[in-house]
Amino acid sequence: MEGVREPRVRKLNIIGQRNIFFAISLLIIIPGIVSMATRGFLLGIDFAGGTEFTVSFAQNPSLTQVSNAVAAENDNGSVIQTGNGGYILRYPPLTPALQKQVEDDLQTRLGTANFSQVLEVGGTIAGETIEFALLAVVLAAAAILFLLAIRFRNVPGGWRAGFQFGGSALFALLHDVFLLTGVFSIIGKVLNLRIGEIDSLFVTAVLTVVGFSVHDTIVVFDRIRENLRVSQRLSFEQVVNLSIMQTAARSIITSFTVVLVLAAILIAGGTTLKGFALALLIGIVSGTYSSIFNASPLLVVWRRLQPLR
Amino acid sequence: MQFVLSWPVRLFVVAVLAFSLFVDGAGYIYRIANHYSLSGNVPGLPPNFGGWQLYIHKGLDLAGGTHIDYQLTNFPPGQSRADVQQRTIQVINKRVNALNVSEPEIRGGGANNDRITVDLAGVTADQAQKAIGAVSKLVYTKWVPDSNVTNGPEPGYKPALVGLEGSDITSATASIDQTGVSWVVNVNFTSAGGTTFANLTRDNVAACPGDPNTVATANCPQRHLAIWLDLTQKDIDNWENAAYVSAVSSTYNPGCLAAQTASTVCGKFLTDPITLQEIDGGQATISGSFTQASATDLATGINSGSLPVDLVVLDVTQVSSTLGAQSVKLSLAAGLLGLSIVVLFMIIYYRVPGLLASIALLFYAAAVLAVFKVVPVTLTLAGITGFILSVGMAVDANVLIFERFKEEVRAGRTIAAAVDAAVRRAWPAIRDSNTSTFMTCVILGFVGPSQVKGFAITLGIGVVASLISSIVVTHNLLAIVMINSSLRRPSLLGVDRTRSV
Repeated sequence: MEGVREPRVRKLNIIGQRNIFFAISLLIIIPGIVSMATRGFLLGIDFAGGTEFTVSFAQNPSLTQVSNAVAAENDNGSVIQTGNGGYILRYPPLTPALQKQVEDDLQTRLGTANFSQVLEVGGTIAGETIEFALLAVVLAAAAILFLLAIRFRNVPGGWRAGFQFGGSALFALLHDVFLLTGVFSIIGKVLNLRIGEIDSLFVTAVLTVVGFSVHDTIVVFDRIRENLRVSQRLSFEQVVNLSIMQTAARSIITSFTVVLVLAAILIAGGTTLKGFALALLIGIVSGTYSSIFNASPLLVVWRRLQPLR
Repeated sequence: MQFVLSWPVRLFVVAVLAFSLFVDGAGYIYRIANHYSLSGNVPGLPPNFGGWQLYIHKGLDLAGGTHIDYQLTNFPPGQSRADVQQRTIQVINKRVNALNVSEPEIRGGGANNDRITVDLAGVTADQAQKAIGAVSKLVYTKWVPDSNVTNGPEPGYKPALVGLEGSDITSATASIDQTGVSWVVNVNFTSAGGTTFANLTRDNVAACPGDPNTVATANCPQRHLAIWLDLTQKDIDNWENAAYVSAVSSTYNPGCLAAQTASTVCGKFLTDPITLQEIDGGQATISGSFTQASATDLATGINSGSLPVDLVVLDVTQVSSTLGAQSVKLSLAAGLLGLSIVVLFMIIYYRVPGLLASIALLFYAAAVLAVFKVVPVTLTLAGITGFILSVGMAVDANVLIFERFKEEVRAGRTIAAAVDAAVRRAWPAIRDSNTSTFMTCVILGFVGPSQVKGFAITLGIGVVASLISSIVVTHNLLAIVMINSSLRRPSLLGVDRTRSV
């Protein structure tokens, strides 16, 4: 019969090498923030309003021909070429009569066209979508602060310690949000790829990711709390490191399965939701990374600056 | 936790599984049994159990069709906004009927009763807007003698415009009369309209006096006032043409009117009631052998010629049915691919428990799809993404249980005790992780636009289902299988060593 064994975990010194991990994060986030500040986002019609035609032509005209045709209409249209021989034409909001006119006009100039999708969003609805985004973000932020406050009210070290735990978790969240929005700003405005478009589903992705990530962080911090109570002889750093080791396996595997299904959607799913799947993918990876490599080291640094216990 | 392993719970799980398989598979079994193909339209489907139909409700981006949001502007003062909105919905409904759409959805909304949403499968935005935007003009006519008229509702007479039209009417409603048996249509006039109407009815009675219930008076056309939609002077000028008259005098046809060219003649007739007496109260009641359906129909017809509000298009979404079908295929492919990868990973990494979790996952997927058919939940592309995402997240609960299970086994517990402890210890973490996701779903479901709502609903249902599936199904499978000692070898369980007892 074997006696009780300590769980066999690999020992990696994450806390000791925390500066490397901070550097990796900053490497991605800082260009993202710069891009957001200088170039902003590629806004989809959900937020900007407008009319969008997804069209393929029987005679397969070139991009130049299509651009010329659109320019000749004098309707302020712009053209993007999609991967599979079709085009996406974007106009400011058009009335139903004008929509029909544009469709007929294009067919006259470029031959038979198949309009697989027509989306039109007027200014009122665009304004409402922006309102939804802001409201959802505010509600989610409130809910998360509430969640963190509840979970970290009984930490050894009093309310100041609780503040350190909650604050570090919050910073990890902000890391995820800024990383995701920054990366999409770069994809949309610097690389000019349509997949980087910001629409209401992008906001959904950000909030879903945040919900996922806050839980990951709480799991690690719960373990830290548990271990702080039982091991008095280890230093704070050592406790945190141990806790990470114990919970990392589960965090990574959980995120891994979600990443697998998202990759399946990216590969096999249609083009319509590729941006959504990509946002979720980046967000979940970032969320796991931040819980393991950012939140806990932050806590250690904070504890160093403001020693308690 | 022992309760979960008891036989009532297991029986319940088996029942749910059987029901889910039935709901999911009934259609396919029917097809195979009757030698039909496995896809496409087949007579007798979807399975219908006393009006309760079972099939996956597809949103417009999967079925193809048009979605339009309208804003109602220029509400007339003095009328209840909810009333006006309701009437407008009925009018749009009737106009849309001409398009022969299956399951058209027309809903009112907006905090001020000023929004209407229209969802029509299988039509283009252009067709939809032509049908809905068709403005009809209602006109009253009296009958004047014309011996050359051989056809129409009053042979020997032709209509004459009297200057009473849609703008003089505030509303028309269908209601049941005092006897409580027959239905009537009440027409309310504006004050100017009421005066005109009073004069007309007085002239009617004067032209053909007598008791309207006698045959002689009843057959006197000058005692009648006819109501038409879009009748023009040009139509009246052609009244001596028998074929023309019979076409125009057929019941008003919104589909024909929306698509009419210079040469088509569409039905424009609504009703031709006799005036029983002079009416000067500004309100008239049209009675006859109306059923509820025919009365409502007439009221809607009258309303559509006197709609007091303007419809402004707020947004339009049109998806072609080919794109819709393609999206369905791709989503299915993505879903199957995702499921297979996850199952493969689970079996490789966790071995026997992984296999059990995969079985639990299949149960989970079948149950959720059955829920989608039964509730029903309208699936959109975003909704399907939410479902696939929830499959990935459903694995999380199983992972938590298995990691705990490995820890408990390493710590020296017996297998049975390890299973029990694993589920018990993992439950708080499972509960909390799904809470934050569920919280996000609730926020998005309440606040978000319809596309986001679809995602939030499917993800939310998935989260709840995965909670149940992991605690009940995986737990039971683990317990049942682990009783079999041949499967207790460490290598099959993915741990280093186990207690021999």
